[in-house]
Amino acid sequence: MSLNKSVLLLLLLSVCLQSNAQEFKLGKVSIAELQQKQHPKDTTAVAAILFEKGEVHFEFTQDNGFTMVTEVATRIKIYKKEGYDFSNQKVAYYIGGSTKENVSFTDAATYNLVDGKIEKTKLKSDGEFNEKVNRYWGQVKIALPNVKVGSVIEFKYTVKSSRYGSLQDWQFQNSIPVNYSEFKTYIPEYYSYKPSMKGFITPKVTEEKKQKTINYSYREPAEPGSAITTSSSQEKLEFQETKTTYVAENLPALKEEAFVNNINNYASSVSHELSVIKYPNRPYEYYSTDWAAVTKTIYDYDDFGPELNKTGYFEDDLKIVLAGLNTTDEKISALLNYVKNAVKWNDYTGYSCNDGVKKAYKDKTGNVAEINLMLTAMLRYAGLTANPVLVSTRSNGIALFPNRTAFNYVIAAVETPQGVVLLDATDKFAMPNVLPFRALNWVGRLIRKDGTSQEIDLMPKVASMDTIAMNYTVDANGQISGKLREQKTDHEALLFRKNADAVTADMYLEKLENEYKKIEISDYVRANEKELQLPVSETFAFKGANLCEIIGGKIYISPLLFFAKEQNPFKQEVREYPVDFGYPFLEKYAINITIPDGYEVETLPVAAILKMQDDLGAFKFMTNVSGNIIQIAMTHQINTPIISSEYYPMLKDYYQGMLAKQSEKIILKKI
Amino acid sequence: MKIKSLFLVLTICISIAVQAQKSEYNAQSISDSLKENANAVVRLNQIDILIASQRSMTIKTKRVITVLNEKGLRAIDAIEWYNKSTTVRSIEAIVYDGLGNEIKKIKRKDFKDQSAVSGSTLFSENRYVFLDYTPIVYPFTLIYESEVQTSTTAFIPEWKPLTDYFLSVEKSILNVNCPSNLGFKKKEANFSDFKIVKSTDTPTQLSYTATHILAQKREEYSPDFDVIFPVVTMGLEYFNLEGVDGNAKTWKEYGQWFSEKILSGTDDLSAETKTKIRTLVGNETDPIKKARIVYHYVQEKTRYIFIHVGIGGWKPMPASDVDRLGYGDCKALSNYTKALLEAVDVPAYYTELYGDEDKMDIKSDFVSIQGNHVILCVPNKDKYLFLECTSQDIPFGYQANFTDDRNVIVMKPDGGEIIRTKIYDDTDNTKSSKGSYTVAPDGTLSGTVTMVSEGTRYGRKYYLEKMQPTDQEKHYKEYWDNINNLKIDKLAFVNDKEAIRFTENVAISAVNYGTIANNKMMVPVNAFTQYTGSVKRIRNRKTPFEIARGSADSDEIKVVLPAGFSVEFLPANFESKTKFGSYTTEIIKKDDNNLIYKRTLFVKSGLYANKDYDEYRLFMEQVNRNDNAKIILTKN
Repeated sequence: MSLNKSVLLLLLLSVCLQSNAQEFKLGKVSIAELQQKQHPKDTTAVAAILFEKGEVHFEFTQDNGFTMVTEVATRIKIYKKEGYDFSNQKVAYYIGGSTKENVSFTDAATYNLVDGKIEKTKLKSDGEFNEKVNRYWGQVKIALPNVKVGSVIEFKYTVKSSRYGSLQDWQFQNSIPVNYSEFKTYIPEYYSYKPSMKGFITPKVTEEKKQKTINYSYREPAEPGSAITTSSSQEKLEFQETKTTYVAENLPALKEEAFVNNINNYASSVSHELSVIKYPNRPYEYYSTDWAAVTKTIYDYDDFGPELNKTGYFEDDLKIVLAGLNTTDEKISALLNYVKNAVKWNDYTGYSCNDGVKKAYKDKTGNVAEINLMLTAMLRYAGLTANPVLVSTRSNGIALFPNRTAFNYVIAAVETPQGVVLLDATDKFAMPNVLPFRALNWVGRLIRKDGTSQEIDLMPKVASMDTIAMNYTVDANGQISGKLREQKTDHEALLFRKNADAVTADMYLEKLENEYKKIEISDYVRANEKELQLPVSETFAFKGANLCEIIGGKIYISPLLFFAKEQNPFKQEVREYPVDFGYPFLEKYAINITIPDGYEVETLPVAAILKMQDDLGAFKFMTNVSGNIIQIAMTHQINTPIISSEYYPMLKDYYQGMLAKQSEKIILKKI
Repeated sequence: MKIKSLFLVLTICISIAVQAQKSEYNAQSISDSLKENANAVVRLNQIDILIASQRSMTIKTKRVITVLNEKGLRAIDAIEWYNKSTTVRSIEAIVYDGLGNEIKKIKRKDFKDQSAVSGSTLFSENRYVFLDYTPIVYPFTLIYESEVQTSTTAFIPEWKPLTDYFLSVEKSILNVNCPSNLGFKKKEANFSDFKIVKSTDTPTQLSYTATHILAQKREEYSPDFDVIFPVVTMGLEYFNLEGVDGNAKTWKEYGQWFSEKILSGTDDLSAETKTKIRTLVGNETDPIKKARIVYHYVQEKTRYIFIHVGIGGWKPMPASDVDRLGYGDCKALSNYTKALLEAVDVPAYYTELYGDEDKMDIKSDFVSIQGNHVILCVPNKDKYLFLECTSQDIPFGYQANFTDDRNVIVMKPDGGEIIRTKIYDDTDNTKSSKGSYTVAPDGTLSGTVTMVSEGTRYGRKYYLEKMQPTDQEKHYKEYWDNINNLKIDKLAFVNDKEAIRFTENVAISAVNYGTIANNKMMVPVNAFTQYTGSVKRIRNRKTPFEIARGSADSDEIKVVLPAGFSVEFLPANFESKTKFGSYTTEIIKKDDNNLIYKRTLFVKSGLYANKDYDEYRLFMEQVNRNDNAKIILTKN
């Protein structure tokens, strides 16, 4: 009975699936779809993906062994003219390797409703373009014909490739709503792929195993995977194939928010990376399965681990650099500076060397791997415990799952009794534990000499400081003159040095004067611009005519002058993704205001303290009057680089409270 | 033996050349005046143009650049374009450090090769080779040499001794050689104030040398670079465009040639399409009304895609293809619209121009192929109407901010003619704001405002309607950046495309708008149209400044003050009149709690002298300050 029931259920299920499947077949566009005026769940949608179905399977030929075939069929509804972009499609293919990939589009057509009847306009060859973009990539583009508001478009593309290290990443979510998204993989038993899913929406996953037979005639030894037997005759290849189906429905459009690290961190998607090759009669080849295996695999690459062991090319030079240095700190900073000066970054990321450390050293240019692996090797040569740390940059997204493509960058780490010191020699203003912003992306993976690895927190722990001391005098006409000293450390200093780099003093001051409400600056002095280990500071005198208001004979002063934040950076009402500041920081102001003779303070902003929950941040505002001098002390600190979205309302209120306080005026009246 | 000695001579030559370069281009030998404000110094930029025939031109470039810092990298400009009619014969570079020691030789294979497809371009036959060099030290000197051969002689590169801001020039040379029978011509502009020597000027030869040009600072509100700095435009009366020979001495002849050789045969439509458009137009007889119907038909039917194929991208895709495919670029869509208009007996002319926010003219006194965009010209009695055919949204005949007020070349049936496009008068570019707001006793603002934009102002607003709600919210939070804690409570638009008028109806609220301290409340009176921008202070301005488009604002806002407070201070009425425009504000007190705030701001377009800049800045500063005037209330 129970058996019957389950069979029935299975039957029902397969019937359901079949009827569903029919609906999602290219060429069967319905009048209802064409008549639809707006997306039922998102009236603002400019277009929607009605369905998108992808599958990956492997084709066997005796000459080439297995070829990976990816087929994707898509139907899109255009609701508004702003959705026309979706009627141009492109697919890139790799042409840099020895084996070529190719892409073909089929079944591409536009459907319109004309006088109640469906009109189909097929894509012809004049709407298809194939171009060689550069040495590595080609792309095929299509422009669907006759697209209007209300049109439904369809197309299918097939990619054939022998690069089977990973499957195409499948994005369930898009910038427009997706009604139905399905991804199927048919994997022969010789390969194992490790799936990684991310995003807020989890697809349904089903798995099925099946016995497959391939008939072929064998003539000569073929590629791995086909080398089953050596006789020359009709052959049969029998193997098990695993079919996995991912289905997700009704996915909302993915919308960008401000202050998000990288929106793709939150898009629902699945990626697959090759983890094992199990060819018959051969030892298994393991690839990434967990972080340890991923790091080991990367470490064993010719253009990674072995590059770390080369030392001959720099030994003579380093003897001079290291001469007389004793402490770890001295050696670290000497070597970091040495590499920064000796080799310039060519703007290429990656954890693999391109030309190799030796050539990079000779040419004085290299990619990230060449520069930082060279630095690691030098640190080791100097007797320090130094290792590379694999990193994913902000633009690459957070490394959530163990696979080789999760990383695209490498830095160096030195283990000291005081803790780990992180180094990146690609940025001329970077310092020990002050990495360039691009590398501040959650966690990295440290690899030791024996191939073992460990997670490393990349986010800065020490607050970057911005300290401002300002003394100014207000005269009876509301004119202000004063002196100012501003000092910055760590990331604040790095940013300052970057922005001030290659800007003439004249240009810099003109910009500063305009930013600071058109003050006139004199006696400008900058200290420690080049001494990276010290805080960078600026000192100047200023005069301003527009900084006070005289209303009804009273003087209104905004005590922070040009430093008062005027706008809340957090304008959105609700927020889905974390707020990413990049690093903790502390702003500190000490202000002394001398008021004109014959005036007294009528109103003074009252002291205030704002504290965020869980010690995420705090704002303090203190005032004091002694004689004709008003003193203001203010601090604003954010103690953690990332604040999760659940705290957003609190963060927004905090900024609102701080801004309100900063905008309060001191009012002076005549005695 | 013979070969050997030749080899010897060659090596000597090369080593001499290298030696010479070393000492000559040492970065230390640059004079201080050329280093001032410069990110890079052009030591030598020599361009030799050899026109061998109507179908053959060779351009040799030798450029020696000392790059002083990262921002000077773009001055290297080591890039050459190629396609079916243009080949890059050679391209190479050598890099020297500041002392003149060779660092690196860069051969052709080390240059990158890329297809010229980006943005809205779907496909292009053009490609480019470029140098992507990572400097290892500053300053460094790079010697770049290239030779490009092309059969297209319709475009002779312009000679600009100064090519960019923050770049100084030691020496820049142009040499042109051309057979006498091709009608070589040139036009010099903006030579005064620069050291330029013309050493040869014959019908077959032309040579200039410019020396010691100081680096220029970019200044806000400057006219176009080409309007201030020297430029020589050159052309041939007998030329070739991607395999098509042409000749034109006058715009009339140019138009005849273009219509005959490029446009002819591209405007056929099927009988079916012609019938369809005739049915759509029906009994309408007024040509402008007919054109309006056709224009809307095209807007609904097509989309814009740039496809760069055939005659260097100058020949439009056939109208019948656009009809079938429903897309095209500016040429294709204009030509298609023209074909449809002709099918309903409305004459329309293909028109070439520069499409740009800056008002760039076709140089009417220099007959040559110019422009970067195509629109359509429809005669309207003794005037003309121009149609932008690439937009699916803009109103019929609307041109502001992209194709307005400039000389264009119109291909009339009897030949080309230069015509000026529509001018939007300063007084027609209006924005009126009418509404009211209330301030609650706790300082919360709530109000509604209706803003109507016309003329050029329409163009800054109409797209709001098409934005996603989140982007609309973002827009208003930036537009009213003077109101913190802004909430948009209601939003409605009326886009009247007939009258070309865009209306925004907005209801807003904001806590803490009035700031309270010690029984007093401060309320900035101008909530809705506060000018928070500023005109930069520029130390010692050199260039003239331009206000490209004028505007006229008028506001009338009712203000309701909170009960329980009395007015301690009301800002005084204000009036300012300058040559750049005028500004007035007025507060009318109805009773203790009700005010009416009136404001007008008129900005006049024009080209003004550099010394007028500070006066303009102060005018706008007055606007800024008065727009921020506050009412002080005291709690009863």
